[in-house]
Amino acid sequence: MTIVTGKAEARRTLQPGRPGVLRSIWEHRADYAYVLPAIAVMLIVIAYPIYYTIELSFFKTPPGLQLRDKTFIGFDNYTTILTSEVFWTVTWNTLIWTLGSTLISFVLGFATALALHREFIGRGVLRATLIIPWVISAVAASYIWKWIYHSDFGIIGAVLVGLGLADRPPNFIDNVSTVLPSLIVVNIWREFPFAMIMMMAGLQTVPDQLLRAAKVDGANAWQRFWHVTFPHLRNVSVVTILLLAVANFNSFIIPWIMTGGGPSNASHIWITHIYELAFGRQRWGVASAYSVLLFLTLMTLGYFYVRALTGNERKEGSA
Amino acid sequence: MTRITLGSAVLRGTVVTALMASLMSTSALGAPPVDLNKWSPEYVRSIAGTQDFDTAADCAKVTPLDYKGRLTFWYQGVFEGDPDLLRQYYKDFFETFRKTYPNIQLEEQALTYNDLLDKFRTALLGNAAPMAVRLQILGGTEFASKGYLEPLKPEDVGYTTDDFWPGAMKAVTWEGVTYGIPTNNETMAFIWNADIFKRAGLDPDKAPATWDDVVKYSKQIHDKLGIAGYGLVARKNAGNTPYRFMPQLWAYGGGVFDEATANPTYEQVQLDSPQSKAALQASYDMYVRDKSVPVSALTNQQADNQPLFVAGQLGMMISHPSDYDVMLDLQKKATGTDKDKAQTVIDNMRYGLIPTGPDGKRAVVFGGSNIHILKPEYVEGGKVDEPAAKAIICMWTSPEWSLKMAYAGSNPGNLNGFKTKWMKERLDNIEFLDVTTSMLPYGIPFPALPQAPEIMNIIVPDMLQNALTGAMTVDQAADDAAKRVKELMGGL
Repeated sequence: MTIVTGKAEARRTLQPGRPGVLRSIWEHRADYAYVLPAIAVMLIVIAYPIYYTIELSFFKTPPGLQLRDKTFIGFDNYTTILTSEVFWTVTWNTLIWTLGSTLISFVLGFATALALHREFIGRGVLRATLIIPWVISAVAASYIWKWIYHSDFGIIGAVLVGLGLADRPPNFIDNVSTVLPSLIVVNIWREFPFAMIMMMAGLQTVPDQLLRAAKVDGANAWQRFWHVTFPHLRNVSVVTILLLAVANFNSFIIPWIMTGGGPSNASHIWITHIYELAFGRQRWGVASAYSVLLFLTLMTLGYFYVRALTGNERKEGSA
Repeated sequence: MTRITLGSAVLRGTVVTALMASLMSTSALGAPPVDLNKWSPEYVRSIAGTQDFDTAADCAKVTPLDYKGRLTFWYQGVFEGDPDLLRQYYKDFFETFRKTYPNIQLEEQALTYNDLLDKFRTALLGNAAPMAVRLQILGGTEFASKGYLEPLKPEDVGYTTDDFWPGAMKAVTWEGVTYGIPTNNETMAFIWNADIFKRAGLDPDKAPATWDDVVKYSKQIHDKLGIAGYGLVARKNAGNTPYRFMPQLWAYGGGVFDEATANPTYEQVQLDSPQSKAALQASYDMYVRDKSVPVSALTNQQADNQPLFVAGQLGMMISHPSDYDVMLDLQKKATGTDKDKAQTVIDNMRYGLIPTGPDGKRAVVFGGSNIHILKPEYVEGGKVDEPAAKAIICMWTSPEWSLKMAYAGSNPGNLNGFKTKWMKERLDNIEFLDVTTSMLPYGIPFPALPQAPEIMNIIVPDMLQNALTGAMTVDQAADDAAKRVKELMGGL
């Protein structure tokens, strides 16, 4: 969408024949010079690896040979992945992991933000305390939770057995059925403060006079939330959910440290599986094809994220 | 006392001859510094402290002590499961090297067993590898077969091939060329808590004779005392898993290939053989049927079993030579009544030979590490300072340092290390050391194939996990693993 301001229109009238894009670039040459180093770095550390990963995804890289001995095989790596039984197991795990972690973190963060938005004694302390899981290193958190969950002498097991609520410690991470939900709990514990902070920031933007007016008009708490607060938070909610989803798709540390994707692939998600294929099994070609699939998925999420971010600006610009 | 009977047990082993042949088959034992045919705890004691070595003088013949250079070096270092004693020796080594070669600028980096291979592979892809590397025994052939390593034999650093275990030399040889030098070699033994055995109604001074006994004992301990019987380890991507499962697999007569035979060809995959399935069934029986092993076995490593053992919550496990020292370290860190409990466990620690299979076959992984020099094109900066690399390799593989760096956790790769005064001191200080050295003749090297790391670190643990979680039956898990090995060997 092109928005032509009066000033720009005036300039165009003054200098007819100069192409608009080139003129714009020329006028902003100082801005481009400022961002040039960043663009150069991005081309080296982001664009080239992406290009190379895409290229490698079309090659067979036998584990017994060096990478330079690769052979072109077209889309065979993609076929291998998409016809592999493990891929679909891992994809299902990834969906459960991403959706479960994202949605529950968001709901919990939102609810906490609403609770902390009210004035009460100790609110500041509570806010600071709840942010702690988010600022703790994911590596440290993973090790701590590994011990909390430990199937033989974990803290939860010891408490449950000590209180007589269980005969033996529950099996959280050594069981194919419980391992993924257990890891999702850890991830939610780490992520919900992020959602909380985002939603708390969003809540500051809800006009107080609207809430007061709704109250005067007889709206109850739920109606005020649903008809006044929530619509104002729609954009920040979308952005928060998308950021969480992208982070969860890319989440590596918690599953890798706590279970290494096991037992029996039950906690493998795309990113851990790619790591194992590449660095553990040296299937660089297959891992690259897998990475391209992940990249496309994340780019799709990124597209919606950018749309959500710029949606308001466009609306404002059009107005 | 168990130790006294061990020497004769060594001689009685039914498959010792074949396995000895496997370990000692190369070079026809020209003039080895020790007589491997006489190997026994008594023989090891008799040669300890019989010869002095001057490491600096020996290495000066390889690289002059005033040599000026720069060396980047990665090594598999100490980790959380190692005793403090070993940490000190590692510190001492690098201090001594810097004093001996003050003009070599050494940039060393320690990595844990489980991280080293991944990081090294990645660095190689980017031509950013170090000039020299010390890898686990499993890694040598992988990198040699791909052409990353420079040929390197003991003679290049002032020793002879006969100075090293022939079985260990196989692990650094690819298509007839030697690409590295063994730094240390070890075999594990079996450890049990005599007090737990007694309370469970078992003979406190007798190790389980067979793996079937291990299954029975484990159940009995669990049923009577409510604690874990045997310390099963089945984590993926962890070296501990194959080191503990392969002895069981071989004892039952199974294998990945025919690596347990005197002259392996590695042509026939045997993971789906009835013998291999019987070994897997034994693990299944302990984990699923009897629930007599730690539930956390699927995510745990040996370092997690050590605290369980010292807390008196685990009856028996395959044990590293260093575990006695680890228990002492853990006991020192305990407080209050836990300290006394730990002391009771240490007082009741017993070491014995690893159990046999149903046919009397006893086996253990012949483990260790090797040191290698990289080709310049794969090294950061494109240059290898070969004299500097040879200087550190000469020192590490010397009789003195190959013994000291393996003081508590292994055995010297250089057989002359067994003759040093430090070996004598070690025999006096390290409890149960002669048990673990007694297992050396039963040692079977991992298949000397480039595919071995994936087989041992991923496919074998996957097989265990698939069976133990119920994701597959024992038969299916073994068949699946065999199929994956065949595909891997076929280049897929």
